[in-house]
Amino acid sequence: MLDERHCAAPVASVRDLKVHFQSKRGIVHAVDGVSFDIRDGETLGLVGETGCGKSVTGRSFLRLLPVPPCILAGGSVTFHTHVVCKACAGVGCEACDGTGRQAGWDRSVDLLGISSEDMRRIRGDRIAMIFQDPGKALNPTLPIGAQIAEVFLQHRTEELIALAGLPPDTVGAIRRFASQSPRFGDGWLLSLPGPRRAQRQRVEESLAKMVADALAETQVPNPGKLMARYPHELSGGMRQRVMIAQALACNPDLLIADEPTTALDVTVEARILELIRNLQQRRKTSVLYISHDLSLVRRISDRVAVMYAGRIVEIGTTAEVFANPRHPYTRGLMAAVPGADTPRGKLAAIRGTVPELVDPPAACRFAGRCPHETGTCRSNDPVLEAITPSHSVACFIDHPAQSGERPTYERVTK
Amino acid sequence: MRAAVAPQADDLILSVREVKKHYPIREGALQRVVGHVRAVDGVSFDIRRGETVGLVGESGCGKTTLGRVIAALADPTDGGVHYSMDGEMRRIDRLEGKAAQTFRRNCQMVFQDSFASLNPRHLVIDLVGRPLKVYNEAASADLVERVVELLEQVGLGRQHLFRYPHQFSGGQRQRISIARALALNPEIIVLDEPTSALDVSVQAQILNLLNDLQKERNLAYLFVTHDLSVVRHMADRLVVMYLGKVAEAGETQAIFDSPHHPYTRELMAAKPDLEAEANVEIRGLEGTVPDPARPPQGCRFHTRCELATSACGWEVDDVIRWLEDAPGMFEHLVGVERTTEFAAELAFDNEDAAGLLSMAVRSEQVPETMRAAMRRLNLDGTKVEIEFEEVGEVELTVRDDGRMAACVLAPQEVASWKSP
Repeated sequence: MLDERHCAAPVASVRDLKVHFQSKRGIVHAVDGVSFDIRDGETLGLVGETGCGKSVTGRSFLRLLPVPPCILAGGSVTFHTHVVCKACAGVGCEACDGTGRQAGWDRSVDLLGISSEDMRRIRGDRIAMIFQDPGKALNPTLPIGAQIAEVFLQHRTEELIALAGLPPDTVGAIRRFASQSPRFGDGWLLSLPGPRRAQRQRVEESLAKMVADALAETQVPNPGKLMARYPHELSGGMRQRVMIAQALACNPDLLIADEPTTALDVTVEARILELIRNLQQRRKTSVLYISHDLSLVRRISDRVAVMYAGRIVEIGTTAEVFANPRHPYTRGLMAAVPGADTPRGKLAAIRGTVPELVDPPAACRFAGRCPHETGTCRSNDPVLEAITPSHSVACFIDHPAQSGERPTYERVTK
Repeated sequence: MRAAVAPQADDLILSVREVKKHYPIREGALQRVVGHVRAVDGVSFDIRRGETVGLVGESGCGKTTLGRVIAALADPTDGGVHYSMDGEMRRIDRLEGKAAQTFRRNCQMVFQDSFASLNPRHLVIDLVGRPLKVYNEAASADLVERVVELLEQVGLGRQHLFRYPHQFSGGQRQRISIARALALNPEIIVLDEPTSALDVSVQAQILNLLNDLQKERNLAYLFVTHDLSVVRHMADRLVVMYLGKVAEAGETQAIFDSPHHPYTRELMAAKPDLEAEANVEIRGLEGTVPDPARPPQGCRFHTRCELATSACGWEVDDVIRWLEDAPGMFEHLVGVERTTEFAAELAFDNEDAAGLLSMAVRSEQVPETMRAAMRRLNLDGTKVEIEFEEVGEVELTVRDDGRMAACVLAPQEVASWKSP
């Protein structure tokens, strides 16, 4: 799935991200010091239970969190863009040293620091998102075609104008129209009949073509007909395909998929997964796949990060994490899934519930639910440390603290 | 028709016979009934004392509706649910007075969404104590003790008595729902997706709890869910539903070892579990569940089944469904005149479109088995006459060891089939 030469280059790096929320009971530390890289062309699975901060992490890439109540308390989300090598179209050639990118065109931006106009330019173009519930994420008052057209109007204006053969000075008008703040005089594109009519028709035709192409990518039958439909007329699986078409319309570098199949039936889920995987492999998009479903993440991702209570407790390649889970929480999650041979009534549940994240103490967040905890876990805060080059874990079992008793898997506390 | 799961007369507590639940579709100013959504369309099975029957299927297959009919929250349109009372089986929708009360207290329900099913303005003591009050089981100080006892059974305690539902987590709220269902010491509990809103670690707690309670009290469960790994863990017997009908029924382990219906097979292939090899291919189903107001003829699954044969009930609707997805064809269709479900005359507004259709249904563009089932195809100007082999509904048939499946194929053919 992953080329060796791509491994070194991250498309995004999150460093010590802290996202807090104001609440009546105090400051909730929803994400509290999370660091990870998403490498070029890989799928990173982010798993964890409800309320562990995985969605908040995903949304902070696109700054979709309302401030207030959200407080971006610290850290950075650096996004690295590049320009694909023109000689080889990203395959890798001599001109670009096999990296597939144009030399000297790499740029990095801190997504948390840039202005909202710059963010708008990245959102939907370089970084796109698929949401959990396509019923809520699609606008019920607009037909499918118009919703996907919005992306092109916003980010592909030049291309659109070139395709329609219009003078380049109309770019601003179309862009303003797309951002829904048209100035006086922009109306010609919409309403005025007469000499401009042909131009308008050309824009509409080109736009329809681009939208139909984007929809055809997701293997929907008869995209032309689908464009005129409204979201409520479609099934859940079809809506999710529309969302994927919309997200991938501009060929983004990074796709954030926030539980894209949770609202779907298993049979449809399998199809959607296949679709995401195919499109990703073809276009070399990096994917941050957020899910609570371990078996699903195992199937789709190259690397897995396990989150618990606002922290990453374990991260590594999918094969390593699933073959040799080190953190007691990861082990607990895996054991809790009913298997074929689990005797009835003997499911290994994790005792207790996720702690409240209001002013968390300096201790392992999993202490209190962990079957192996010792005094060390309750008074020290473990950090994420590598056990192999591609597998890190934040637990005192593998990285004993300077002082105090070391927890082991053998010792089970009641 | 026979029951989907054969009963053992002595410990039978509930038997579902040919239950149908149709919801009318009303249209126009006069709200005339123009059709029926056949949510449940002739389902039969039995539940014995102390066992768990799993009811699985995709969303929209009627499993929740059937659960509600069994809990007497909805009356069946046809057929009936029979409850064993004083040694005889009595239809629950015809029970009156004392007998109706006896049934209601012996059959309880736990709902999927514990936010919606617990009144947010009531304290836990009111919620769990309400059934006891209604049936004059306990009052005042005695009531408090009974509620505490129930809460302790589900892993909560006295300290939770005077709290509101919103003060609890999802798992705890589901525990409160279970305590409420247990209050009157029922014989059977209908569990409608009790864990699908919960995280796996909490789901494991609830499943363990349900299992302990079942052992302690010899409860029977009807476990409605879409999660196969949960149902394999919990259920003794399984009923797989598709579009209001039973596709397959039998012992859970036997079904998981060798599914006799392609639908069951596809359901399992769609979600391999954690223990499976990492590179096992996941497979999904093409298309969506057809409209339950116009269920397909023959086998209801034939529209999505990769193993479909020419005897599976190809019909006019299949041609129209194909037309809908074919670019630039459906717009030209002006009328469909059906003589039966299997024969019709399709009228187009020009000869080209009609010609294209008659070409297409003879070519690779439609499934081969559909072509094989076609008896007549006549192109006459702008009209295309089309007729398929008439096929009756595919009934559930008994296989060995009490297995039942509604499929024209032999089990070996289903098992040996490989996706191309």
